[in-house]
Amino acid sequence: MKQTANNSLLNVVVRFFSSVKLAIFLFIILAITSIIGTVLPQGESLQFYLENFGPFWFKIIRTLHLYDTYHAWWYLTLLGLFSINLIVCTIKRLPYTLRIFKKDGLELSPDEILRRPFKSHWLVDVKNNPDEIKEEIKRVFTQFVGKVRHRRDSEGGEIYFAEKGKWNYWGVYLIHISILIIFAGALYGSFTGFKGRVMLLEGESTDHAINMDSHGNVKKIPLGFKVRCDKFVVDFYPNGAPKLFKSDLTIIDSGKEVLKKSILVNDPLTYKGITFYQSSYQSVPDLKIKIVSSDGQQKLLNLSAFNDRGVWKEKKLLIGMIKYLPNVHGAPAARIFIGDISGNNGHALWLLMGHEREYTMGDTTYRLSLLDAKERFMTGLQVKKDPGVLIVWLGCTIMVIGFAIVFWVGHNRFWLRILTRKDNKIDIILAGQTNKNKASFEKEFEKLKSEIEKRIGEVK
Amino acid sequence: MSINSSYLLSLTTFIYLGAAAVYLLYWIFRLDRIGVLGTVITAVGFVMQTIGIGLRWIESYKLGYGHAPLSNLYESLVFFSWVTILVYLVIEFKIKNRVIGAFATPFACLAMAYASFSPNVQDSIQPLIPALQSNWLIAHVITCFLGYASFAVACGLGIMYLIRGDKVSGGNYLLDALPSRKVLDELMHQTIIFGFLWLTVGIITGAVWANQAWGTYWSWDPKETWSLITWFVYATALHARFVRGWAGKKIAYLSIIGFISVIFTYFGVNFLLSGLHSYGSS
Repeated sequence: MKQTANNSLLNVVVRFFSSVKLAIFLFIILAITSIIGTVLPQGESLQFYLENFGPFWFKIIRTLHLYDTYHAWWYLTLLGLFSINLIVCTIKRLPYTLRIFKKDGLELSPDEILRRPFKSHWLVDVKNNPDEIKEEIKRVFTQFVGKVRHRRDSEGGEIYFAEKGKWNYWGVYLIHISILIIFAGALYGSFTGFKGRVMLLEGESTDHAINMDSHGNVKKIPLGFKVRCDKFVVDFYPNGAPKLFKSDLTIIDSGKEVLKKSILVNDPLTYKGITFYQSSYQSVPDLKIKIVSSDGQQKLLNLSAFNDRGVWKEKKLLIGMIKYLPNVHGAPAARIFIGDISGNNGHALWLLMGHEREYTMGDTTYRLSLLDAKERFMTGLQVKKDPGVLIVWLGCTIMVIGFAIVFWVGHNRFWLRILTRKDNKIDIILAGQTNKNKASFEKEFEKLKSEIEKRIGEVK
Repeated sequence: MSINSSYLLSLTTFIYLGAAAVYLLYWIFRLDRIGVLGTVITAVGFVMQTIGIGLRWIESYKLGYGHAPLSNLYESLVFFSWVTILVYLVIEFKIKNRVIGAFATPFACLAMAYASFSPNVQDSIQPLIPALQSNWLIAHVITCFLGYASFAVACGLGIMYLIRGDKVSGGNYLLDALPSRKVLDELMHQTIIFGFLWLTVGIITGAVWANQAWGTYWSWDPKETWSLITWFVYATALHARFVRGWAGKKIAYLSIIGFISVIFTYFGVNFLLSGLHSYGSS
């Protein structure tokens, strides 16, 4: 009793998960919910949503994880259901498909042949030589359908059978399985891979990438080797559109230069499973500033945007770069911040190359001049390791093959049965069946039918 | 003035408009001569458009850019219209029913009209920015638009299916000229599978390309997501056949909804949503 209850519950579950209706339901729900993430900005800070959508919508957005829709628990659940649906469907339909696949069309009885979707039945009165017309019809049939198998049935009739594209039944399985393979590849990649960024000045190298998540947490990911940017090149078309971004990279593993490559936007570099993609660039100013104090002492300070605090310890003086313009009336100019080392009494001023500026702090006056200004490029690289990507490509390949089979291959079957009856009349059955493109199969069938009819007509 | 590609291509717009009108006349008067005229006009337009596309390709080399004319909205619209006509001509040849032309050629004509005359669409030849400098560009655009164009034709078939009505032979002069519902249903199904196949290959080539350019094969960019939404709609249409009572009319509606989704993937994303595909919008 309990056994049957369990069984029926299992049946209900299996039936639920294997139904085409669930698949359709999931397609529709996934289609509709996927719209959310294309309309609502994704990956912003929670503050952003509160400010832009108000407290009511903010609550919904936060609860349903709508700031990252495609990784929300409910979206992943839908994808999970989709996978279960696919798996259960596949397992449940497998024996059924196997049965169809194994079933030999030649074994059909004359009655069964007559129940095919396309058929013709003739009774021909032959005056003389029935074997000749039988041979002729068999010849027409064979010529039309190709390779034919044949058997003699219990009533003494001859059954001829031909089929093409029987493996068409597996096309759908390939598609369904390929989706699972792609999911598996994506999952595997997300657990074993990483994604990060590297910003490198020309000449600079690093042994780690930086990953920043949506909450602003920064993580250092060790690469296991060093990557150096030797040179960055940017080029533009006459109309101002970018033409080329190129970084010359060198990989240094255990202190040795092992690989050199110039990477472009569509041509990354891969070493030990880690790939570097050209993704952005910045130009970074490099300034040399001379400061002469009124007591005759002087100091040279180097400033770049990323080392933007210069300190003259003895004088407790601090200088920082705010802005850099490469060309102001023909000379470079920098807006700098100057103040005491605690950051108080700050003052911002413009330094133009070739012009001294004075600044007084307490009872000391400083004369500042911009000695040198250069721009260096800094290349922005996307760093990615994704061991799952090959699995994804495998899935994609299988999917395309599956589609090609589903679209171009149909299981077409033809039967011909000929029996000489006791009254010397010849009983002819022609039948056909397809699971694809019925209209064009019908045409083919009609053509064969009319050819056979022509032969019959000649006898009559 | 020497003949340039833009001139030839905008001329194509009017030829397809003429073809659509002639097919419509054929539907009304059902004179074979009118039908043949429709096919001839369409074929002439197709040849002219092919020359126009080829010429544009050559022009881009003369400008020193040298790339296939598949890189911006204008060029994609021209290509969309070209494939739509190609798919239609194949179907006409196979089915031998020219009334379908009255439902298919307008799509090609509208795409060309939009490309040639909308102020939003620039027809100048632009150089390729670094992200587009890839051999995957051609494979990606061709496969996507084979899909889009098939879906346009499937949408036309869906509309025909809905106006055809249930009656096998209702004695209605106009409706009787349409292929039977059985034929339309089968044709619609085949066209959708064909489009679905190419949409899938289009998404995959896009993923391979994105992986090569940015290191991510799927980043839920609005364009990607909308192509997936479109994929779901057509997946529904393909599976609906296996549900009792869903075949026919519901699939016809889905082929129309699916094409609306295609249109949104194509234009809506470019104009209304921002993302990685921004170069497709000018």
